Amino acid sequence: MNTAPTLDDLLEGLIVALGSEVMPFLNNPKAMATTAMMQSLLQQVRQVLPVFDRVIAEEHNQMTRTLCDVAAALDGVSGAEADRIRARAATLGAQGDVPVPVDQTPVRAAHSALGFALQDTIEDLDALQRAGHTQADEALTRLRQFLLPAIVSHIAAISVGGGMVGRG
Amino acid sequence: MDKAIIGLLQRVEPSITDAQVNNLQQISGGYSRETFSCDVSATRNGAKATLPLIIRRNPPAVEAILNTSRAVEHDLIEAIRTKSTVPVSRSYGYELDPSHFGAETMVLERASGNGKTSDLFNGGPDEHQTEEVIRHLCEVLVELHSVDISIANPQGAISDPRGVGIRTGSWDEYMDTTFEYYLREYRTINWDPAMMVLLDSFLTLRRHKPRPMKLVVVHGDFNPANFLYENSRVSALIDWENSHIGDPREDLGWMVLMDILSNTTVMSYPKKEGGFLAYYNKLTGGDITPVELGYFTLFGTAHIAVPVHQSVARRVRKEHMLLMPYYLIQSSLPAMPAMAQLMGYTA
Repeated sequence: MNTAPTLDDLLEGLIVALGSEVMPFLNNPKAMATTAMMQSLLQQVRQVLPVFDRVIAEEHNQMTRTLCDVAAALDGVSGAEADRIRARAATLGAQGDVPVPVDQTPVRAAHSALGFALQDTIEDLDALQRAGHTQADEALTRLRQFLLPAIVSHIAAISVGGGMVGRG
Repeated sequence: MDKAIIGLLQRVEPSITDAQVNNLQQISGGYSRETFSCDVSATRNGAKATLPLIIRRNPPAVEAILNTSRAVEHDLIEAIRTKSTVPVSRSYGYELDPSHFGAETMVLERASGNGKTSDLFNGGPDEHQTEEVIRHLCEVLVELHSVDISIANPQGAISDPRGVGIRTGSWDEYMDTTFEYYLREYRTINWDPAMMVLLDSFLTLRRHKPRPMKLVVVHGDFNPANFLYENSRVSALIDWENSHIGDPREDLGWMVLMDILSNTTVMSYPKKEGGFLAYYNKLTGGDITPVELGYFTLFGTAHIAVPVHQSVARRVRKEHMLLMPYYLIQSSLPAMPAMAQLMGYTA
């Protein structure tokens, strides 16, 4: 799957296009306001997306501890309310920590570097093939064995199936 | 723009007077030019007339998918229109001076007919016409491929319309210089290593050249969206900016791919003739094989992919901020599994 443009680049592109390619051609105040709202919500997605999974995991782990700490603070207190709090601590609060996702930036950079390495390998294999090294045919087949499922899963992820908008 | 349109028309046809531009609006009209539609009401040779027009204006160079000349496109269209039976709209003229329209621009007659060719497929309202429309489309392509090159290309302007060093002295020279162009430009289009399938296709094409054929005038973007139809006939082939001297199998191969991307089935018509390739072979007396068609599907894809992905690369580098190149990633990458299949990829 391609790492460039990034998902953030795509969202930024939508915001810019709404402003420069759509808004100037709107003549309805309601539509203009809706477009501005779209820009604002897209900007929210841009801001939330990079931190969402990490924050949710961290808060998950903090909330289990909080439930347990709250219950512990009520040691010796009786009554239905305190019992319900202790029950929550004993069930939901007893869940183990979930893993906090690591920053994906270095993974994406390494992915890109490996991709360019395979690209350069295709070029070198072509030189070997044209020089008559039949082993290079086999080597290219191996490289393509990686590429085919990668392409198929990539396309499955991004395809919308709407044809080509604006053309016939 | 009104003044520029009228000025161009009056330059071409001095008998046009009292002209007024109506209903001028930008339309989607493909991906490469800024396209406008309007009607000009005027007095022409002393009589009232309405001229339906299409205006094709170059976008800023950094945003352009193809940096081609409107003068070259005009000259080709007029040569095809006046010296063959290929249905094509009249090109009134072009203006290279940007002070008139804001950029290099051409003005064409707006052909009659339905340009929403998706109406012919997938249960569309004109599906009853599909057999005959596509039969005629095939006949039109055969006619185009039989146009005398010396008539369509008297000054050699469409031998290398992109100015990238392609030479057409022979079929081999054309193919070899085209591969040089693809491979040289690959470094400018690999905006992500995911593009390596394209590189593999360029190299595979070079290693496996098929038999030569006579070079012809190739439309260059022969796809399901680039024609209009009415009364079960093609009324116009449109969008000639990628036309060039090349191998006739390029147009067939490119249609195969664009059928996939456009969710259409042009290549399976005319069904009574066994499909588009069978009918093309019947009309030409040729024997283009499905394997050759596959080869030129890759070749034609490469021909368009180079400028398209150069445009995407400029957008990824944020040299401009138009949205379309990002959309082109989504809409063009589904070509990759088909390319992989044609190269014999296996899991």
